[in-house]
Amino acid sequence: MDFADLAAFTIHDAKNRLALVATRAEANGDAETLRGILESAASLTRLLAYYKAEKGSLGADIDARVPADLVNELIVDLSKQTALNISADLSAAPTLWFYDEALVRMVLLNALYNALRFAEKNVRLKAVDRNHWLELIVSDDGPGFPPEMLGLAHDMQPVSREGTGIGLHLARQVAALHANAGRSGEIELSNDGGAVFCLRLPQ
Amino acid sequence: MPILNGSSKTNVLILDDLPEMRSSLRTQLGSLGYTNVAVSGTVKDALEQFKQRGFDIILCDFYLAGGTDGQQFLEYLRTRKIISRSTLFIMVTAEKGYESVVTAAECLPDDYLLKPFTADTLKSRLERLIDKKRRLAKVDAMQDKGNWPAVIIACDEIIAAKDRYLVDAMRIKGNALILAGQTAEAVAFYEQMLAMRPMPWARLGLAKALHLRGDVDAGKEALQTLITESPKMMAAYDLLGKLHQESGNHDEALAVLDSACLISPNSLARHRAIASVAEETGDFSRVEAALTQVVKKTRNSPLRETRDFARLGNALTEMGEPSKAVQLLEEARTTFKEDANNPLLAAVEAVAQQKAGNPALAEQALQRAMQGEMTKLPPEVAMAVAKACLATGKQEEGEGILKNLVQSAPDATDLHGKISGVLRDNGLHERAEALVAESVREIIQLNNEAVRRARAGELSAAAEMLVDAANRLPGNVQIVTNASFALLFDVFTNGLDPTKIRLAQQFQQAAQAKNPAYPKLSEIADLMGRIRAKYSAGKA
Repeated sequence: MDFADLAAFTIHDAKNRLALVATRAEANGDAETLRGILESAASLTRLLAYYKAEKGSLGADIDARVPADLVNELIVDLSKQTALNISADLSAAPTLWFYDEALVRMVLLNALYNALRFAEKNVRLKAVDRNHWLELIVSDDGPGFPPEMLGLAHDMQPVSREGTGIGLHLARQVAALHANAGRSGEIELSNDGGAVFCLRLPQ
Repeated sequence: MPILNGSSKTNVLILDDLPEMRSSLRTQLGSLGYTNVAVSGTVKDALEQFKQRGFDIILCDFYLAGGTDGQQFLEYLRTRKIISRSTLFIMVTAEKGYESVVTAAECLPDDYLLKPFTADTLKSRLERLIDKKRRLAKVDAMQDKGNWPAVIIACDEIIAAKDRYLVDAMRIKGNALILAGQTAEAVAFYEQMLAMRPMPWARLGLAKALHLRGDVDAGKEALQTLITESPKMMAAYDLLGKLHQESGNHDEALAVLDSACLISPNSLARHRAIASVAEETGDFSRVEAALTQVVKKTRNSPLRETRDFARLGNALTEMGEPSKAVQLLEEARTTFKEDANNPLLAAVEAVAQQKAGNPALAEQALQRAMQGEMTKLPPEVAMAVAKACLATGKQEEGEGILKNLVQSAPDATDLHGKISGVLRDNGLHERAEALVAESVREIIQLNNEAVRRARAGELSAAAEMLVDAANRLPGNVQIVTNASFALLFDVFTNGLDPTKIRLAQQFQQAAQAKNPAYPKLSEIADLMGRIRAKYSAGKA
């Protein structure tokens, strides 16, 4: 068995174990433990996706999806894991959009956990249809991104607010996999009373 | 009945090989109000549970012990209609990536849940899916019945509403257009879908529709594009392999299926498809290699297919190893109790026993093979039984079956070639030349005679002749539709007769199921309309 297969197998096994303890923590109402477990599981998911992306086998399974469902599910899930105020803004969300739900969820979850770490009080997840692009925006009221990270994310940026930078790199890859009619998805970081992470997906 | 949300009236089944996972899931479901939850650790046990009752929701882990996975389990349930479309099937996996390795759209789960997930996620997911089932209830019910025109109408209602189920309804509509035989509409519909967004399922649908329209090259091209764009879409390889096979490019068909096997080595469907192509070319060592894999993977699984054992036995016999074949076939016969009298298995065994020097056992096997109604057997099985008759010296019975096969499909030159081949293989060279021609001539004469009688005003006699022939040759769409038309024309001319109308409708439905695009079907529909107009006008 080569290392990659072994790693994939181990990740699979670890996630199964995490799933068990997560249920226990949830049943006990232990929010902090639950968040630790789910965050660890999310980083394992990203690691595997990153490996696939490196091998060139990360494909997007694009289908019609309901952005409001994804946003609501993430909000409900995360509000169980934090004392901060997490809200959704779906006032300008389209009914349907075309994307790979598992990949987009992975990217948003990463951005949301990131925001939870830096927010003072509030984290917001917004879905909006802007000129034939779906924008999925995670914003917080923390100190914002360091200036060198701002703008359109291009190459792997070694600096990130915390962590290895895998998250942002992967987010960019996922965005790029969502291409249609000559346009492809992108990630933009900005500051506006806190950090603003935007995943933009073409129609 | 619709599934009730968070109710003890909803029957839920959990299938997972890890006991802790089962109880964890059961706890989560319990906290959401689902208290009627059955758990299984194996596919075998789960199938036992299905014998007791049905389930509204199935939560199944992708990884299952015992050589099967959740996808194979789902395919088994759907293809054998153990669950209807109203049942929610949710695949639980630890990572994303299985979605695309799926054979057919009707074998897709309703959703995937990525572990770990919270009870809240499970709750909102179930609510969403139950809502969707409710919205699509009419569409699903019509699909289960195979009433494709009604499916199209029900889908159009949802499409017009432009709600969140718009694309779901479009996907189902495209498939229904194909199955209803509206090939030109299907092509246009998928082209419109693709202009909106190039989704893999729409490209696959377009390829299917093009294929049915006879545009084989355009279909192949659509599939090549699809495979480049979505290399994990197994259904694309399957269809491309089929197209190559139909146009006689066996090597290309095998190459496509081989490349699919590299991407999805555990899929049984692909190995079976390779065996089918190799059977056509007479490459029995290839058949043996492919089916040995299938048999090895399913031998101890409840998902095994008797047919795989029979085909492998046939390959072994063809390779000159009849005693090996006998051993395998006897094992299948004694361990698959419910299939001990399976005609294909028995027919293949008869040939193997004969060649292995056991004529008495061959005779017994042949008797088992011929227990049922021969005209009801699928062509592949009937052919095997005919082969067994010829191999054991029962020439008359064998020829009778072959004649029926020719007359069921008088235009199928491929099949005729195989029939002649079987006769030649058994030393009947003269009959190999004559049988097909004689049988075709006879069916043409029958048709002509029926037409002559109808023209002479003997409508009932003409209908009777065609009904007899249709019962003997249920696979012959021309005869079956002619029988339906003749019955209706008799009714139209000579007065209402409910028995005749019912019989005509049965033939019409049978033909519809076989070939929805068959031209005569629209004439039958017209005539039905005229009958309705004629006899209801009198009432009003």
